[in-house]
Order: sequence, then structure tokens, then C-alpha cells
Amino acid sequence: MTNCPECDAEVSCGAMIAGEIFPCRDCGTELEVIATTPIAIERAPKEAEDWGE
Amino acid sequence: MSDPVRLGLFYTILRPEEKWLLAAATARGIPLVPMHDEGMLFPLDRPAELPAVVLNRSVSHLRGLYALRFFEHYGCRTVNPAEVVERAGDKILGSLALQAAGVPTPRTIVAFTDDGALQALEEIGYPAVLKPPIGSWGRLIARVHDREEAEQILEHKSALPSPTQSIFYVQEHVPKPERDLRLFVVGDEVVAAMSRRSEAWRTNAARGAVAEPLTPSSELTEIALRAARAVGGGVLAVDAMESPAGYVVHEVNPTPEFKALQSTTGVDIAARILAYAQEVGRR
Repeated sequence: MTNCPECDAEVSCGAMIAGEIFPCRDCGTELEVIATTPIAIERAPKEAEDWGE
Repeated sequence: MSDPVRLGLFYTILRPEEKWLLAAATARGIPLVPMHDEGMLFPLDRPAELPAVVLNRSVSHLRGLYALRFFEHYGCRTVNPAEVVERAGDKILGSLALQAAGVPTPRTIVAFTDDGALQALEEIGYPAVLKPPIGSWGRLIARVHDREEAEQILEHKSALPSPTQSIFYVQEHVPKPERDLRLFVVGDEVVAAMSRRSEAWRTNAARGAVAEPLTPSSELTEIALRAARAVGGGVLAVDAMESPAGYVVHEVNPTPEFKALQSTTGVDIAARILAYAQEVGRR
């Protein structure tokens, strides 16, 4: 369990792995799992100029 | 039967494609190690634990490119190799490769200044398409209808901080039906294909185009395979249009998404990619 960096709501990441994107249930902010041991989350990254296929 | 080759999944964010790859690997007993690009360090000397083959799924062109160079330096096989990603992930290098291989591709001129871009647009003829050399999903692409519009767009582009926005890739606007075609190539085979229909001029799935399964003709299949070979081959999505003069390939994507394609066609593309990566690892 950790907290949303936007609204401080408690966030559970369950069986997620690093790189998973999910919305905070309280404020809807898109969050990214950065690490799992220990769990760390950040606001999801914005699309960068070199992102693509 | 030989043991499965140990694979690595190098990725930025877990999209449905990466989740499907992980699930397909688990279902087949293929070891696929998640390698999140944000958490990785790349020393010059080879780290101890590395998979035999790294499957690049990084959404960042530059991260993917440098990481592939490192993995190859460490002695890992890569899907796709750095040189393929470099060539196909840059629209200019991709166009050069397609043209050199005789694959039909839209008329294109590159310029390095605003004035040069205007000259290129005049030469190509309006409407024309102005694209940054790197990027996807139709981002920062403009269809330019006349000189006045061109001057306004170029002024806006010159205000953007990235130097790549001042490399002007000018391409003819291909009059086509309200769709483009995507063929997914794995090795020497087109494993799935779809059309992407949109009333808007940009037919990217990321922009809401409607995907429909496509059975490509032998001519289109051959063009797609030649386009894939032109950039070095591997796992590639070839984007083509139906111009009045025949098929033209405008892009070959080296780290292709396949959510829409797998959902539309029912082809287990993730499994095909894993099988190909296994084959690469056994070469």
C-alpha cells in the first residue's frame, strides 16, 4: 500500500509490475508503478516527442 | 524438444501488447523477464544476468535505440536489432531504405530551413504533408493546403524547442480512399493485416480510426515483405496506402503496437512474436 502523489489517497497496486499505468480511484490521476519492492508510484509520464511505434 | 530460449522484455509502460506477451510466454513456458527501462543502468562491461534475446518494446525511440546497442554490445540477440530500429524509426532513413530497395513510396523531399521547406512544399505541390522525422501516432503532422498555411505552420514549428522539429520531411499527400492498410510482418511472413478507416485524413488507430480485418492480395503481401526486408527485417508493421497509381508504403514501424490488429483479426500476434524471438535465439 502507498499513497497517491496527487491526492494522498491510499493506493493498492496488488500484483502489478513496474511500468503499469492505472488511475487513482479517488482523484483519477494516471499513476505509474515505478518499483514494487518497496512499492513506489509516480504520476504517469507524459507522451514524449520520441514516443511511438 | 530443446529448452526454451530465455527472453527479456525491454519496455517503458505496460500496454495491452506487453501484457499479452507476458501472458503468452507464461502459457507456453517461455521465460520472459520484464526489464523496465526506467530502472535499468547500462555499464560498458556486460552485467552478470542477461537474457539471450531482448525483445524491444520501449515506447521511446531513443531509449530503445541506445539500449539495443548496449544489449548487442553485451552479446545478446535483439528483436529488432538496433540498426533496424534506427532505420525504420526515423522517417528519413526509412524513406531512403524503401526507395533504395525499389519499394513504391510517396514522393518526399527533406529540407533544413523554413525557406527550404517552403521550396520543398512548392515542388511537391499542395496539399502536402509535413512530418517530423521521429514520432508516431500522427503527432505534430500537418496537411498543408497552400503557401499561407505553410508559412503559419512553419512559424509555429520554428518556435518548438526540439531540433528535430526543424528538420522538415515534406511528402506528397496521397489521394486515397478513407483508409490506410497495415500489414504485420514477422520474419518472412505477413501474419495479420487490417485496414484503418477514418473520415479524418490521419488514419492512425491512436486517433480513433476504425480497424477492419484485411486479406491482402499477393501483390500487397509481396510489397510488405519487400518493405520489411528493406529496413532489415524482423517484427515490423508496414503501413501502406492505395494511391491511384497503386500501393505505396509510407512507413515501416519497428516497435509496432498490435492491440487493434490482434483484437480485430483474432491472430495471436504476441505468440508469433515470441516464436520468432525463440527462433532468433537459436540461430
